[in-house]
Amino acid sequence: MIALWENLPALTQDILFTLLLLSPSFVVGVFVLHGYAPWPLVRAILWRFRGSSTLFVLLIAISVGMGIGLLAQERGLRRGTAHAADKFDLVVSAPGSEMTVMMASVFLKPSDMPLLDGETYNAIANHENVSIAAPLAFGDSYGTASVIGTTAQFARYLADDHIEGRMWQSANEALAGALVPLAVGDSFTPAHGHGDSAEEEAHEGADLVVVGRLAPTGTPWDRAILVPVEMVWTVHGLGTGHDPQHRDQIGPPFDPQTFPGTPAVVVRSEALWANYALRSEFTRDRETMAFFPGAVLAQLYQVLGDVRQVMSIMAVVTQVLVAAAVLLGLFIISRLFHRQIALLRALGAPARFVFSVVWSFGATLLVAGSALGLLVGFGSAAVLSKVVTARTDIFVTAPLGMSELHLLAGFVSITLLLSLLPAAIVLRQPVVPGLRA
Amino acid sequence: MGLPLTISGLSVSSKRGRLLLSVPDLDMPAGSLVGIEGASGAGKSTLLYALAGLQEAKGSIRWGDQDLLALNAGERARFRANRIGMIFQDFLLFEELDAGENAALTALFRPRRERATLRAKAAERLDFLGLGGETRDRNVVSLSGGERQRVAIARAMAAEAPVLLADEPTASLDRAAADRLIEDLVNLTRSSGTTLIAVSHDQTLISRMDRVLTIRDGAIVADRKAAR
Repeated sequence: MIALWENLPALTQDILFTLLLLSPSFVVGVFVLHGYAPWPLVRAILWRFRGSSTLFVLLIAISVGMGIGLLAQERGLRRGTAHAADKFDLVVSAPGSEMTVMMASVFLKPSDMPLLDGETYNAIANHENVSIAAPLAFGDSYGTASVIGTTAQFARYLADDHIEGRMWQSANEALAGALVPLAVGDSFTPAHGHGDSAEEEAHEGADLVVVGRLAPTGTPWDRAILVPVEMVWTVHGLGTGHDPQHRDQIGPPFDPQTFPGTPAVVVRSEALWANYALRSEFTRDRETMAFFPGAVLAQLYQVLGDVRQVMSIMAVVTQVLVAAAVLLGLFIISRLFHRQIALLRALGAPARFVFSVVWSFGATLLVAGSALGLLVGFGSAAVLSKVVTARTDIFVTAPLGMSELHLLAGFVSITLLLSLLPAAIVLRQPVVPGLRA
Repeated sequence: MGLPLTISGLSVSSKRGRLLLSVPDLDMPAGSLVGIEGASGAGKSTLLYALAGLQEAKGSIRWGDQDLLALNAGERARFRANRIGMIFQDFLLFEELDAGENAALTALFRPRRERATLRAKAAERLDFLGLGGETRDRNVVSLSGGERQRVAIARAMAAEAPVLLADEPTASLDRAAADRLIEDLVNLTRSSGTTLIAVSHDQTLISRMDRVLTIRDGAIVADRKAAR
């Protein structure tokens, strides 16, 4: 049986699991409604209490929508951050926190980090399995855009060679990320530092011209300005990284004697196995640290996964609490039509028919609210994605997935079972006071 | 054809034990039209609801050969569905449904095979009561009080129940509408042989009954033939 299940395609498993989650509500529905036709009365009651019913549906929809929207968003954020790290197979830095280096190199959130020297850089760059070894230089900005020093080879790789305009050919030329408000031909002067504490005048005279724009990557690099790493070193008075005979050279090779140092080197190898070999080779005590940003993210996701589980449970508990509140409301609202219920019983309606009317009323509100909640969840996830993308520059999309459908199916089943309770309570109400009400 | 009624040792008490109604003995032949009068709170409606099996009571209420009080709640409901039609002072219709749907309301909880017959019978009753044609499809909110009560009569008699219990059927109607309703009610029950028991303050209705019971303080204090 287990083998049969495991051999099924994932989509089939998901659909079957959804149906399994919904099965209690199907069973209850069939059991309650079998042989009766309560819908004309349910429609009549819904219409009579349309205001309260609409409010209930909206309440359920918002609760369900927020729950599944947040879960979808969490998954979208994971995908977005994983995508942002796609181009960063291996990063080599001085020993320290992998997270700190990853935040700086992948997400452009640099902090003070020790530097790798020129010999180490050359050892990496000259390794037979390395196709790209890009030093990174942080610290400057223009407006809200970080100015990052690197190599032309890495810039091309980052944008999959999709560059509007041309690649820089001298130290005072730059490439603008897709979201940077600079056009080809614009000039700017980088400031030292970022944000409010940036020193606008620090690099006065170091004017740069935008000669190209990178295609969108869906990463924080879209809001960065890429410049030759030599330019960053030069404006900070650190030299060019080349010997005096090659002082106007742009890009590698660099002179190990004059190399100013780099906090991180982004390394790419053509072969997957070579990445592992390189990681092993450049993980040296007290000298270098090599890591896969993807693996660091995976560790982070593992922690977040635990949080997600807690969040999922909290989401379910919250929704069950909301459902309980709604059911209490259903009980209250059912008292509004207790005259109609008393009438049905006076006319000889079987208890199960009356039960089916009250349960169907509640079930209609719950199912309608849940269905609407799916749309609310879809909408809220889309809005949240836009907000997160705007704030982090990590391109986040959060389409609803099967896990959200599972949550919804579980919610529907639990609440439809719970709604048996008010239906049962209504049956216990005395008939004669209802008729005289 | 109606059902005869035999009551013996009937008593209804409140939850606190106060005696609300006591009827030691009472017989009604099948097909009789009986009015129940008395002051408000005297116990008229309590008797009526007890006869429908809706009141917790002690003693015996025998409709034909069936003792209603010996039945459990489900059996009483089934008995009402098949044997007793009820009419109420303020109609108690589903205002969101049309006249035809209200008249055939009990079809919703009938076995599937009986539904079409019951709907046809309800339509027939509506026709007889002057509510056929387009009126049948009108929402009951758009009908006059008299028309609504006639819809309620059609509902009560759609299943051809042998007993009809009416609680102040004319109280919400003006005189003209009440007179027409009384005419319809009496004609319909007489023609079908239905046993009619009507609680009412309306002397016009009471005067059309075969027999009138007067209730005071939960006891039948007078039992007379109506003056025609």
